[in-house]
Amino acid sequence: MSAPQRRTMIRALVLKDWYYMRWSIAAYLTLGAVALILVASGSEGSFYAGSVLLVTLLISLGIHLSMATVVEERTGQTLPFIMSLPISPGDYTTAKVIANLGIFLIPWTALLTGTIAVIAGRAAINDGLIPFAVIILTWILLSYCMNLAVALVSESQAWSIGAMVVGNLAFQAVLYAVSHIPSIALSMKGDVALWPPAARLLLLGEIGAIVLLLAFTFHMQGRKTDFV
Amino acid sequence: MNDLAVRFSGVHKQYRHFHLADIDLELPTGSIMGFIGANGAGKSTTLRILMGLVHQDRGAVEVLGQSMPSQQAQAKADIGFVAEDMRLYKWATLAWHMDFIASIYPGWDAAYAAELVRRFDIRPEQKMRGMSHGQRVKAGLLLALARRPRLLVLDEPTTGLDPVARHEVLGALMEVLTDESRTVLFSSQNTLDVEQISDQITFIDRGRIIDSADKESYLERWRRVRLDVPPDVILPALDDVVARSTTGRLTVLTSNRFTAAMAEACAAAGATVNSIETMTLEEIFLANVQQRREKEAA
Repeated sequence: MSAPQRRTMIRALVLKDWYYMRWSIAAYLTLGAVALILVASGSEGSFYAGSVLLVTLLISLGIHLSMATVVEERTGQTLPFIMSLPISPGDYTTAKVIANLGIFLIPWTALLTGTIAVIAGRAAINDGLIPFAVIILTWILLSYCMNLAVALVSESQAWSIGAMVVGNLAFQAVLYAVSHIPSIALSMKGDVALWPPAARLLLLGEIGAIVLLLAFTFHMQGRKTDFV
Repeated sequence: MNDLAVRFSGVHKQYRHFHLADIDLELPTGSIMGFIGANGAGKSTTLRILMGLVHQDRGAVEVLGQSMPSQQAQAKADIGFVAEDMRLYKWATLAWHMDFIASIYPGWDAAYAAELVRRFDIRPEQKMRGMSHGQRVKAGLLLALARRPRLLVLDEPTTGLDPVARHEVLGALMEVLTDESRTVLFSSQNTLDVEQISDQITFIDRGRIIDSADKESYLERWRRVRLDVPPDVILPALDDVVARSTTGRLTVLTSNRFTAAMAEACAAAGATVNSIETMTLEEIFLANVQQRREKEAA
């Protein structure tokens, strides 16, 4: 099959998933905007409420996406329909990764940018919080990539739920651990956003883990012999 | 040009409780093959291997000149596939599915799709969620047929359909078959359906192909011979008798390569030939399966 034909197929599959998730995306974006308004609204209480809503929304979106667009395809027996189309397993994986990451990265980027803007724009919040916020939000992205990888490779509801539980527990641990790294804890209290070596290392580690997870997903999908 | 649409050579697939063994199968371009087997015989596994949905452990599969599963994307561009356990998206309408398939297949025939909508009496604006089993099967068939595929692979499409829906589905298939360049592989437990539309028949049982030939040859070769055999008469040893049952003086022989000489030999031995009966495809299938299972048990 020629490269343009493959691109057409992958685009059709990506658009299909986006169409299916269109109302959910709109709902998450609306709630995300509400969360950012709360964060920016002034009081300490609304800042924390907005932050919690923000994180909860991202985690929920990650879970929702991988369950709805990947696991449901297996449990709803639509996978044979999709795999009977002129695509290879590699094309299918590419389409799923693009569709899912595409959806997730829109609110994730909006929330990352909004969070940084709110922290930087409000005098009451230390700018030193920016590296911490970026590391935590990138962890959420990493956790989402893990959910997606497990969902794609296992196509199993049980494994996907297991991955979500692990991701959520790990999130609490990461939140605690990162905020207790002395150099990061110190920089969080500063008026200027500083990136101590530990923060840079953490962020690079997260990005590296995301790349490895995606590579692992493609590798495992390439070895799969059963698509029904 | 390759005149075989499908070729399986020594295909093997192992599962924990089932294995498909040494599948050799050839489907010439333009033919309509009925693939008959009981539940769990290996029909669906064979068709899934053909589609690249399941990868064989060993052996070669070539579909429309493409090696499977490595070149499945190219092959599937010319295949329409419908399976009884395949579902469409319940959140979407049939119209959405039609647009989706049309965006993928350049050969999508919108006029033919509209005609099938009318003939099948299904509503494009209806979501799959609200459709009955029969409507879902017809929707799947519409999506497969209107892309005008060179090869149509149907895995038990008539299973679970009411008589009216079955008639409509078979009618549409028979019309498709008037195009001599189109190849069809059609699996079913229902020998009547297969008999209606196929020109080639393959029987599969317990993961092995037990017989494959053209339909007319089956119907011509297989006969049931009813004999009245007096107590003092011993029937001669006959080749090609796959089953023999005796109740009192009445003996029934089932032959898979019947010739007039067979009846003459029985008569010469002192038996009276009461009747020589043709057999239905279902009877031929059952006799075939029974013969093979007895051989296995022996």
